[in-house]
Amino acid sequence: MSSSSVLEEIRRAEEFLVVGKGVWRIDALDKVTGRARFTSDFVLKDALHVRLVKSPIPHGRIIEIDAERALGLGPVRVFTAADIPGENQVGYALPDQPLLPADKVRYVGEPVALVAAPDEDLAEKAAELVEVRYEELPAVFDPLEAMERSDVLVHEDRGTNIAEMTRVRKGNVERGFEESDVVVENTYRTGHQEHAPLETEGAVAIPDTQGGVTVIASIQYPHLCQRITARVLGLPHSMVRVIQPYVGGGFGGKDDMGPVVSAMAALVAFKTGKPAVLVYSRRDSFTSTCKRDPSVVRYKTGATRDGRLKAIEVQIILDSGAYANRGPYVLWRATMHAGGPYEVPNAKVDGFLVYTNKVFEGSFRGFGNPQVQFAAESQLDELAERLGMDPLEIRLKNLLRPGSRTITDQLLESSVGIYEAVKLLGEKTGFRAKWREYRRERAGRVRRGIGIACGYHGISTSRGVPDWSNATVILGRDGSVTVETGICEIGQGSWTAHAQIAAEVLGVPVERVKVVGGTSDAPDTGATHASRGSSIGGIGVYVAAKRLRERLAEAAARLLECDPSDVEIREGRAFRRDSPDDYVEWEELVQAAYSMGYEMSATGYFFLPKGKFDMERGLGYAYPAFSYIANVAEVEVDLETGKVRVVRVWPALAAGRILNPVLVEGQIEGAIAQGMGYALTEELKFEDGRMLNPNFTDYLIPTSLDVPEVEAPIYVEDLYEYGPFGAKGVGEMALIPTPAAIMNAVKNATGVRITEIPATPEKVYFHLKEAGVVAGE
Amino acid sequence: MTEPRVIRFRLNGEWVQLGVAPNELLINVLRERLHLTGTKYWCGIGECGGCTVLLDGEPVLSCLTLAVDVDGREITTIEGLATGEDDLTPLQRAFIEEGAIQCGFCTPGFILTAQALLRENPNPTEEEIREYVRGNLCRCTGYVNIVRAIKRAASEAAKSRRPGPAAGAASG
Ligand code: FES
Ligand code: FES
Repeated sequence: MSSSSVLEEIRRAEEFLVVGKGVWRIDALDKVTGRARFTSDFVLKDALHVRLVKSPIPHGRIIEIDAERALGLGPVRVFTAADIPGENQVGYALPDQPLLPADKVRYVGEPVALVAAPDEDLAEKAAELVEVRYEELPAVFDPLEAMERSDVLVHEDRGTNIAEMTRVRKGNVERGFEESDVVVENTYRTGHQEHAPLETEGAVAIPDTQGGVTVIASIQYPHLCQRITARVLGLPHSMVRVIQPYVGGGFGGKDDMGPVVSAMAALVAFKTGKPAVLVYSRRDSFTSTCKRDPSVVRYKTGATRDGRLKAIEVQIILDSGAYANRGPYVLWRATMHAGGPYEVPNAKVDGFLVYTNKVFEGSFRGFGNPQVQFAAESQLDELAERLGMDPLEIRLKNLLRPGSRTITDQLLESSVGIYEAVKLLGEKTGFRAKWREYRRERAGRVRRGIGIACGYHGISTSRGVPDWSNATVILGRDGSVTVETGICEIGQGSWTAHAQIAAEVLGVPVERVKVVGGTSDAPDTGATHASRGSSIGGIGVYVAAKRLRERLAEAAARLLECDPSDVEIREGRAFRRDSPDDYVEWEELVQAAYSMGYEMSATGYFFLPKGKFDMERGLGYAYPAFSYIANVAEVEVDLETGKVRVVRVWPALAAGRILNPVLVEGQIEGAIAQGMGYALTEELKFEDGRMLNPNFTDYLIPTSLDVPEVEAPIYVEDLYEYGPFGAKGVGEMALIPTPAAIMNAVKNATGVRITEIPATPEKVYFHLKEAGVVAGE
Repeated sequence: MTEPRVIRFRLNGEWVQLGVAPNELLINVLRERLHLTGTKYWCGIGECGGCTVLLDGEPVLSCLTLAVDVDGREITTIEGLATGEDDLTPLQRAFIEEGAIQCGFCTPGFILTAQALLRENPNPTEEEIREYVRGNLCRCTGYVNIVRAIKRAASEAAKSRRPGPAAGAASG
């Protein structure tokens, strides 16, 4: 279908019954009754249990892997790089990552071998007995140091530890700073963040009768798992089937780890002819899966006396750990979002992705954006302070609006609702008055503060990389509706949204629709990431359902003896618009259509039109659209303990049409909690590359006692022309500005700017003491 | 290896009997031997609450409970609450209605813990709820809707307990 006719359809589709209402999640019943099955719930007889043998050193050559003692334990098998029949390569952006390393290890926790045995305890014991001899190499842990060194290289063949460089050059920053009345310059640091999905990574692989393998795994993109697994096994893609059961949280990590665990389990199944179960222990999930990239961001901002931004100069350094994985894409996203959702006429941004000998980094809700927004939004408050303005005022002066250009010089013609969202948010929260009051007070042991921060996030893939949507809709003879899509359900509710779209277009109750998603048997719909699951993914469903609806309207017209354009189908009935009492029931209609010879299945495909991007200057079409968010956070800072308590958060979202308010609220609340953990407590500690706290006792994710009240969100429905019913992405949004909103509130409460997260109580206390806000003992 | 021991306990209303090793954990008996996979396992060391089941009505972590210790007693898992849409408990219904479910991995543990809470304290305050479920982690929802769902279930149960004016709608 051409893009313009889809567009027209989307515009016409306005009077909706189901969309926009909080219908029950289609997976809710399975999940409250314990019937929902996750990867590790596929308990198979005769399955082999797989455990990892992991590197205890951060950097070293593998001299020898001796499995003799392990094999002596009984029916045990050990697999190493030498057993891989296909290509030993799982790198995403760069071909730098083996499934199991053949020559050297690059981080503590890197899997070097797989051990399989009929029961878990035996596999565990055998894994401990595999002896690997290493020749240790000097290691590098600090990205700033790694950038400069060429004597210690994580990947020798690359000749440098810099895996990727990015840039944006807009206007003339020198002139911009000359024209500025104030210039603020700071360095910001953010730490690792572990996804900590409640369900750890895992895969079950079952050899099939035709020499291929079926994989059931905790994933975010079945077709990518299929490609990588097939590559590792040396099979055509068609020989690998991937199925997603229920997934216990993804947050991006399972997009990256899904293919790895799939390929590992499949390797064992393929070599042994037996089903193989690999479920990462919580410890494995900490030590050996990707995290959010730690960052150092040097940020210089200039503005005129009246608060207009003139120029930014930004350097972003992302610590990629041992492998590049998604890093180049994460870095590009960080680079192109470095300005925040503001008009900045002159921008110079340089990004560096740097290898170190630590666990590798990867996709995580926000994808490079939280790191830069933390810096950008802290800067803005500092600038306001210097100008004697309040944080709201400076934002309202500079926010993007329809007709604005981003820092990549992309023209935003429409669907830019952030200005209105911030305005409403300011009014709803009484921001100015509170901000002034708290700033004046600043007395007592517990100080209150309020802070605001904004964020924006390009939906779909970056830089004009093609994006598409594809889905199949099938009507059964009994009137049931099946939607097949590659989009995964990872808790965010995409399948419910898909069912809603199909129900809406076809005119049936949503209960009729079953979504078969997350499988390589469906058309390749791209990954469930970049907040594209419901938005981009939903378009294919829309197009396919539309085709069927046209056929059904024709069939109904023949039954009702009228013109197809006079047929209305709603709530499971087809009738003539002028005489609603004259109707055909849905089942009857579908059966009649079958016997009249209409094809009752249809595919929907949509290729998202994109513009050009100039990589040299980092200018041009970065994203088809942006979603926008602003959060206000109110905090209490205990000066004696350094503990920051987030009392309340008010979100405002401009993400086009809100398809299902209950699901959207859930995404916002969850993202705020995760953003709060990121900002305050979630700290991975390392010593010589070894993780010191790989458990939930020492790595603190928010509990029910820590999370703030989240007020009902403000929605500005700035409809997006290519989104289904005008929807944009939601899933990542509310995390992005949360750290800055909290730290801006801490500043409001105490007068102290903290430029480093997580701001654990010790760190906060240290900064307060350093600034003389609390007296040292 | 020590001898297996035969234990007998009531599981979701029915007596079961099986031989277990003295060090065998309840969670493994439930998930691997009885195929009741609604009970979730994700830390194995008592940090998450995902494996919560009710032992004589009290919440316990099945990853830290020895199977031999439930001999002669009563265990309720998530599978024991409802068979389908029609017999959902007020808590299950409230979890759905309030959007307290995202990935659903923490849901069984939360529902069982909340059930024990409401038995002990039918009308808990928000703080009491947050305090009681603090050992159950959720990475998806931010807990907002979970707390709301528990409150709703409590107030609905209160309504059905109090037949007076609330039921007599005509009087309003
Ligand atoms: S699995 Fe039992 S508390 Fe985590
Ligand atoms: S809903 Fe996913 S962990 Fe709670």
